[in-house]
Amino acid sequence: MSEVKTVENMVNIKIDGVEYQAVEGEYILNAARANEVFIPAICYLTRCSPTLACRICLVEADGKQVYACNAKVKEGMEITVNTPNILEERRAIMEVYDVNHPLQCGVCDKSGECELQNYTLELNVDSQSYAIPDTKREVQNWSSVLHYDPGLCIVCERCTTVCKDMIGDAAITTTKRGGEDIDKAFKESMPKDAYAMWNKLQKSLIAPSNGTDQTNCSDCGECIAVCPVGALVSRDFVYQSNAWDLKRVPAVSAHSSDGFAIYYETKPRSIEDRREKIFRVTNEWNYVSLDGAARFAYDFENEDATKDEAAFNAAVEAFKKAGTIRFNSVITNEEALMLQTLKEKMGVKLYNPEVRAFQKFLNHYQAASGRSLWSTDTDTIMKRADFVISVGSALRNDSPGMKYAFNNVQKLNKGAGLYFHPIGDTLISSFGKSIECFNHKPGLEEAALYLILDLFADVQKLPEEVKAYIDSFKTSETKTIKEKVEKTVKEMVKNEETGEEEEVSKKVKETVEKEITVEKNGLVDLLGGDSENFADAFDKMMKKKESFSMMVGEDLYFHEKAENIAKLIALIEATTSIDVVMAPPKSNALGVALICDLDDEATGYTVGYNENGDFRLSALGNGDLDMPAMNQQEGTFTTMSKRVVPTNAALPYDGYELNDLMKVLVGAPELTIDWTPMLPTQKGYKAVAFDDLPYGYSNDGRENRGYLLDITSTEAALPTVEKFAESAALEGEIAYRCNPARQFNDFTDKSHEIFEAFGVYASTAKAEELGERVEIMFDKGSIVMDVIADEKMEGDIVKVSDFRAAAGIYDLFGGSRYKNVTIKKV
Amino acid sequence: METTTLIGQLPEVTAVGVAIKAILILAIISAVAGFGTYLERKVLAFMQRRLGPMHVGPYGLLQIAADGIKLFTKEDIVPQHANAVIFKVAPVITAATAFIALSAVPVFPDFRIPEFIPVLGGTFVPSIASDVNVGILFVLGMMAAGLYGPLLAGMAQANKWGIIGAARTAIQFLSYEVITGLSILAPIMLVGSLSLVDFNEAQSGGFTSWFVWQQPVAFILFLIAGFAETNRTPFDLLEHEAEVISGYATEYSGMRWGMFFIGEYANMITISILAAVVFLGGYNDFGFIAGWIMILLKVAFFFFLMLWVRAAWPHVRPDQLMWLCWKVLMPIAVINVVVTGIVIMV
Amino acid sequence: MGLEQFKNRNVGTQEYRVLDLQESPKTPMAKFAQVAKRTFKGELFVGLGVTVREMFNALFRGQMHTVKYPLEKLPISPRYRAIHEMLRLLESGHYRCIGCGLCEKICISNCISMDTRYDENQRKEVSEYTINFGRCIFCGYCAEVCPELAIVHGPRYETASEQRASFSLFEDMLTPIDKLSLQQEYDGFGAVSPNADENIKKTPLAY
Repeated sequence: MSEVKTVENMVNIKIDGVEYQAVEGEYILNAARANEVFIPAICYLTRCSPTLACRICLVEADGKQVYACNAKVKEGMEITVNTPNILEERRAIMEVYDVNHPLQCGVCDKSGECELQNYTLELNVDSQSYAIPDTKREVQNWSSVLHYDPGLCIVCERCTTVCKDMIGDAAITTTKRGGEDIDKAFKESMPKDAYAMWNKLQKSLIAPSNGTDQTNCSDCGECIAVCPVGALVSRDFVYQSNAWDLKRVPAVSAHSSDGFAIYYETKPRSIEDRREKIFRVTNEWNYVSLDGAARFAYDFENEDATKDEAAFNAAVEAFKKAGTIRFNSVITNEEALMLQTLKEKMGVKLYNPEVRAFQKFLNHYQAASGRSLWSTDTDTIMKRADFVISVGSALRNDSPGMKYAFNNVQKLNKGAGLYFHPIGDTLISSFGKSIECFNHKPGLEEAALYLILDLFADVQKLPEEVKAYIDSFKTSETKTIKEKVEKTVKEMVKNEETGEEEEVSKKVKETVEKEITVEKNGLVDLLGGDSENFADAFDKMMKKKESFSMMVGEDLYFHEKAENIAKLIALIEATTSIDVVMAPPKSNALGVALICDLDDEATGYTVGYNENGDFRLSALGNGDLDMPAMNQQEGTFTTMSKRVVPTNAALPYDGYELNDLMKVLVGAPELTIDWTPMLPTQKGYKAVAFDDLPYGYSNDGRENRGYLLDITSTEAALPTVEKFAESAALEGEIAYRCNPARQFNDFTDKSHEIFEAFGVYASTAKAEELGERVEIMFDKGSIVMDVIADEKMEGDIVKVSDFRAAAGIYDLFGGSRYKNVTIKKV
Repeated sequence: METTTLIGQLPEVTAVGVAIKAILILAIISAVAGFGTYLERKVLAFMQRRLGPMHVGPYGLLQIAADGIKLFTKEDIVPQHANAVIFKVAPVITAATAFIALSAVPVFPDFRIPEFIPVLGGTFVPSIASDVNVGILFVLGMMAAGLYGPLLAGMAQANKWGIIGAARTAIQFLSYEVITGLSILAPIMLVGSLSLVDFNEAQSGGFTSWFVWQQPVAFILFLIAGFAETNRTPFDLLEHEAEVISGYATEYSGMRWGMFFIGEYANMITISILAAVVFLGGYNDFGFIAGWIMILLKVAFFFFLMLWVRAAWPHVRPDQLMWLCWKVLMPIAVINVVVTGIVIMV
Repeated sequence: MGLEQFKNRNVGTQEYRVLDLQESPKTPMAKFAQVAKRTFKGELFVGLGVTVREMFNALFRGQMHTVKYPLEKLPISPRYRAIHEMLRLLESGHYRCIGCGLCEKICISNCISMDTRYDENQRKEVSEYTINFGRCIFCGYCAEVCPELAIVHGPRYETASEQRASFSLFEDMLTPIDKLSLQQEYDGFGAVSPNADENIKKTPLAY
């Protein structure tokens, strides 16, 4: 998958004599998997680079033994999965894995879903030929969620690979084990690959890559998911349950707008308490990687809700006199449709500030581009793109899916990237060598888009005035540069030190002064880059690049000149070969934006749904009427991938639902999911019943969840874009509305495995300057918050968390993500 | 021994004395009947190498009390279609006839209530409550009248098993009445009296004077017939549970059923005493053993024999019962009487 | 009473005899002759003799057959599957159960349930264990699958109680720590076979 596949060329291969088709340039292992042929493999992860740690995927291709995970298919290739020699190697490898691996499977959390168990049985290991003295390996806790038992570790390096290639944190790496040397006699007696594998295994272990015993990462837990054995387990899950006792409920992560496919795994809480409880969240790690919120924020259910009739009647009354319903995006499409129905039939206003800006932006974008939605998604980016640009998104915090894609492109597609954001992030630049980060001033996002136009646009297509405007930033100046050259001729040169003219006639390295014409790009400088070096760097980045993608983030929706920005993006799409993906701000923001007709302000009596209001419906259990939380209800989400995906109820809920209110207020079908086929088709939804929505991934990694939204596309003239004002740049003390990674809303906050605090996040230097606790004064009010240092942040801008609805952060920031504030120590 | 004195020489037999005797018989025989159930269970158990009742009282002795409490406190059920009056009277007939029969049988020696007891002091209590001179006839007659108990009970309860039980009662009791009478006729011919006291006197000559030696056939016939009369195994066809549930007693429970039980045990005692007095030398002294001990031992032996037989032998079929009665026992009894008569004449 | 009689399974080797059933007599004379023969043969007294002999055996030779059940109990076959017991390690006294959950998994009536946790010594601790005896069919799979010989079917066949719960918790089934010395090694269902060693392949050790 490291090659760009603009056109998928298929080749014919034969595996064990059967003909199959495979995508050209694909690894044999992936080709086999796509065709549902089993080749044993432990260390390989589909969307990551091959590590060659396990060597079990050894196959014979055209008479040569190759590793299926890193040999590519060729036309006419004939592959044999099992030969006597290969079987011997594999068995020896499995025997080696079993050397000193504890046999107390009974107490291991992985028992029953352990790949070591499976392959040991699959490869018929019924006796052991090898032995070596064991090394004492202590159990470690790497972070608040990671529990590592090196005694169980088989050093397949899947964890380090996924952390580096997918997550981007590269927080763990292999380290020295300090094990004994293998008896030399084995070298002769055992198969070659098994010996090599053992040699490596006996020397290494996994450890945090920062040299301490604590990882400094986003705590996404993907390493836990990919671990084939019980070495990496969530601290909360250690020895809690056997895998087979858990019931898997397919669902959608309710937190980020990526709509990650997850499984809630439930069973009764304990012998005494038979209420169902979610014990963990798992994922199909070959096809989807989760962020920390999706994996660890699962216990946000509204426990023990009952049908409180009095509260229900009060709620009905409240709705009848309501002027506004205020809600957020942690809501299913069906519920959004219900609220929209209320608006249509009862004339209430729908107020949702976090989605409203996004909705407006989408409308502008549609008007400018003629397309109803953006053109690509993160999966496609990971598969194809080799150049990614991120604008207006704090990638690490806002959208894990985009972050993974950005990183994955660098690692697997030998890609390059441009990152435009006012707040510096050391993690982003660590993703790869070909990444340029522009830490521009807030407000100058338009400049970034103009720069993109400059760099990538087909000049022929670009409107004259835009071209002229861009050119106006370019200055061409003659500059004298010093150059070292090796001269063989005598020449009169100016001596650096003395400034006198001398005659030198030696064959020496010399520094010459040369006059060249330098193209200076004012936009680069304006965005905080170095225009002199940028041109060269950019040339290097562009080498062999064919597929370009741009990620658009929340900053742009909340920008004062969002309309112009939307037009610029439409212009970029029209004049360059860049595909665009936009990150909906939160959870189901896209669904709400498409389904609901939102209002700009709240008036009159307000009913809040998980938000502040005069009457509060709440799935958090603290409102006037209980509502089911996302893990207690069925419904659909609209994800960033423009997909409508079903989620199921993992836990029982006995209280009233929004649909019950609807029945009383305006009449409604029996069940919430009866609304699913009624979702607006003019917005791209399809009239498909909930129960007909599929869920899962096919073996070749194709997502087969729900359905894709229909995207309408009309021919549109090139939009007329406005110039930007440099004066729009914010100066001074600036606060940025941004949540820490893993925190998205009150529900993640409620979850016990999410530890990120509500506060103001600042770079280490800034945090030191601010002290422990500060009051941040906005023009509309102020808030007192704890200061938390984030060592991956750079610069003076601080991030203010907004995940607690009750804190009213949205109201403080108004329609913007950046605000000039005064920060005072408290 | 006072009991050996003739009736004419007895101290004055007052009505009070007879009443006391009657009460004593009622009380003691009832109690003994109850105790008999305990003994029966124990003996049967031992013969089957079991322990029998063990848990109520020492060695299960108080089992009788427990059973009594149970019988008395059980719900009194009269079936819906039963003839209630007859249903209620029938068990009384059984118990009453059994005890009335005992009135002409010598039970316990005579004694005088000690003087120091007020009111009743000095009252003479005879061994026989009513020493009629046709004692044997009276006893046999009364036992024959006892047939009405099971018969009426079976017919009154509106139950087919009861009816069958009643029919069996009629044929069995009536048939074997004949054998009893014929078998005992021979000793009567030898003694020439129907009084049991005379029988006792006739055998006062020691071990060899027992009629069992002169009349072994009569003795055996009397025993067989006695088993049938008292409804004991192997002739307990009246209530043979394998065939007729519980026969005439099917619908009975509680104390009504208990009265049948007491009647049966009282009859067992009566037959035992009769057999002892008529054939085994009565209450005569036996060497150094006092007569009253001898009679107790003899009664005990017959009682034990009944239990022993129950443990050892199977039931007979009703047709075999009749066959035995009319084709075997009755001819033998008749021949025995004839032979006895000839011997007396000669 | 020893275990010998349980081990005597030589079914079919006893010497059975066929009774010599003669033809029933047909004529009245023959019938009478048979009655007379049987009457005077004294067969009836053989029956009486047998019963009285057994009475003497029972009373005086200690051959009483009755077992006074709640006070006396017969030994039970080790293969009997009575109510479960959880055994302890003989040396340390710690319970044997490691919380692997195999019994829970294999249980066909789905009546076993356990809570486990990560304890202070970094071990898996069984915090609670229960069997729903309302559902248990005493099939013995749990004992058979147990890798530690921790759950076994004990000889406690009296399962009447005021509450089902009386038997069903971990501490109800676990050998009391003060009775550890009385704990019997289990040789019934699921126990290690006498020739188990022959079936094991040895793993090389580098020490």
